[in-house]
Amino acid sequence: MNLRRFSLIAVPYLWLLGLFLIPFLIVFKISVSDIALSIPPYTPTLELSEGWGGIKDFFSQLDFENFEFLATDDLYWKSYLSSVQIALISTFICLLIGFPIAYGMANAPKEWQPTLMLLVILPFWTSFLIRVYSLIGILSQEGMLNQFLMWIGVINDPLTILNTNIAVYIGIVYTYCPFMILPIYATLIKLDGSLLEAAEDLGCSRTEAFWRVTVPLSKAGIIAGCFLVFIPALGEFVIPSLLGGSDTLMIGKVLYEEFFANRDWPVASAVAVILLLILIVPIVLYQRNEQKMMEAEQ
Amino acid sequence: MPETAFEPWNDPDAKPLIQFRNVTKQFGDFTAIDDLSIDIFEREFFALLGPSGCGKTTMMRMLAGFETPSAGMILLDGQDISPIPANKRSVNMMFQSYALFPHLSVYDNIAFGLKRDKLPKDKIDARVKEMLRLVQIEKFAQRKPEQISGGQRQRVALARALAKAPKLLLLDEPLSALDKKLRQDTQFELMDIQEKTGTTFVVVTHDQEEAMTVASRVAVMDHGKLKQVDTPERIYEAPNSTYVADFIGDVNIIEGHATAEGDTVSIAWAEGQPPIIGTPSKPMGDCKVSFAIRPEKVAIAAEKPQDRRNLVQGKVLDIAYLGNLSTYHVQLVNGTVIKAQASNTRRRASLPFTWGDEVWLSWTDTAGVVLES
Repeated sequence: MNLRRFSLIAVPYLWLLGLFLIPFLIVFKISVSDIALSIPPYTPTLELSEGWGGIKDFFSQLDFENFEFLATDDLYWKSYLSSVQIALISTFICLLIGFPIAYGMANAPKEWQPTLMLLVILPFWTSFLIRVYSLIGILSQEGMLNQFLMWIGVINDPLTILNTNIAVYIGIVYTYCPFMILPIYATLIKLDGSLLEAAEDLGCSRTEAFWRVTVPLSKAGIIAGCFLVFIPALGEFVIPSLLGGSDTLMIGKVLYEEFFANRDWPVASAVAVILLLILIVPIVLYQRNEQKMMEAEQ
Repeated sequence: MPETAFEPWNDPDAKPLIQFRNVTKQFGDFTAIDDLSIDIFEREFFALLGPSGCGKTTMMRMLAGFETPSAGMILLDGQDISPIPANKRSVNMMFQSYALFPHLSVYDNIAFGLKRDKLPKDKIDARVKEMLRLVQIEKFAQRKPEQISGGQRQRVALARALAKAPKLLLLDEPLSALDKKLRQDTQFELMDIQEKTGTTFVVVTHDQEEAMTVASRVAVMDHGKLKQVDTPERIYEAPNSTYVADFIGDVNIIEGHATAEGDTVSIAWAEGQPPIIGTPSKPMGDCKVSFAIRPEKVAIAAEKPQDRRNLVQGKVLDIAYLGNLSTYHVQLVNGTVIKAQASNTRRRASLPFTWGDEVWLSWTDTAGVVLES
């Protein structure tokens, strides 16, 4: 047996096994357990000292009632639905804002591009949490945004933005826009300018050339950017819990509350397992898009 | 080729398709095109030839509509084209990089321009198929550009540019991406297609061989100016300047002082060497001249030829063996090196001369070009 080949292939598999599959199995096991007032706060736990009988006993106590519970209480599916909705709308807004920025960057003079790139990445130099907290300062009733709007006379009474879904959208779009901009920029910068000239030469107006050449050729970047925004936004909990109101339903927030407020680990784990199942679809689609991009470059 | 020679440029009644009238193009401080006027006629295969940076690409981009002249006027069919944007001109371009749309199939690439004209579907289909046949790529219609070879891509680019039946087709270094053998075959095909479609072709190239092969007329450019516009044969045999003589093909250039002697001139060029007898294209007085002679017009012999008026003796310094020809670099007593070319007509014979051999070089009165310098 070719040991070198085997060990080479083994590395990524061990990686996945140790960092993905085993943690997932642990979470999955908790999700099929029952809540208990103990440490850890669920039962049963595997007692290997009791031998074969112990293992059988352990498996007999596992059931799917937590998942059934998720189906009966409408809080959960409403949260999932609302998360998907917020993530989709945020992704769309990110695309609307991110594409023009990426387009502008790619068409800016060469010597400006590193600076523009730096400006996009610059927010990452500050902690994500601090940035979300500062949004509170900007969006609150006495915040800078309201003060500014009242100062220029657009409004007379302060707007209620903080603790609404609008604040959540602002937070998500602000946080994840760079993830939209960068992949789109990466495809646009590779776009051969002579293709646009060729399109014009063959009778396209500038706008038509944009839709017929630029957009199709940056499709891979657009798709990558959308997934990079959609996937983390779906499970986001910091932004809705800090900026959202009591009626903001997001599954990440529910998950957090189940774990830390209710200490109901089994239900929280069940929520996480379902969330993962929902996320697998876009993740697989994203991977396929990446693969296609790689193939196209060869 | 038709028997009546195609020479609209010699016909005073012919109406040019394209006219550059005192066109100047500046980019900042840099003058790319300098007060240039030229007429190009319908059905011509016109080549713009020059080193990179000579302005040939700028001229083509002005015709395509990607640049506008800073001064002067460009007329297409008697109409000023400056206000017409690129997408409204009956001018199409084949790009150096081909610029095929990677997300579209070969078929859709060719159909791209036709669809923009909102033609009915069956007409588009018929035209695309005609183009595919013309450039012989029917088999690859459904492939993506990345799935075909460089030579096939070149054909797709040509078909796409011709599909809209433009009055004028611009070709930017059309064959530069192909290897030599394919390039030669394609040159003839290009001429064939040009003749079949009757389209006026303007080709931009830095490859003199390409320009000479395909073009009906060649314009040699340098620093935004036209140096000479003429048929390939006249460009080669009767260059009007040392720049043109030197740019096209191989040449020996000898500086000297001419004295008129009837139709011919006697050029004194080095002490101890007999004067060169040359025939200028038009009578000239006494002046400084450059005498340009192509290596293949210089005969090389071991024995002193009796019947030639121009005769020099030297030593073989270097031999460049090219297969069909050999170029001998012969150093004269005064140090001047003159290149002479001889064809290798016999296969088994070893080369007649070798390094260090004493040889005689000779040429006739009319073999070289006398240029006032």
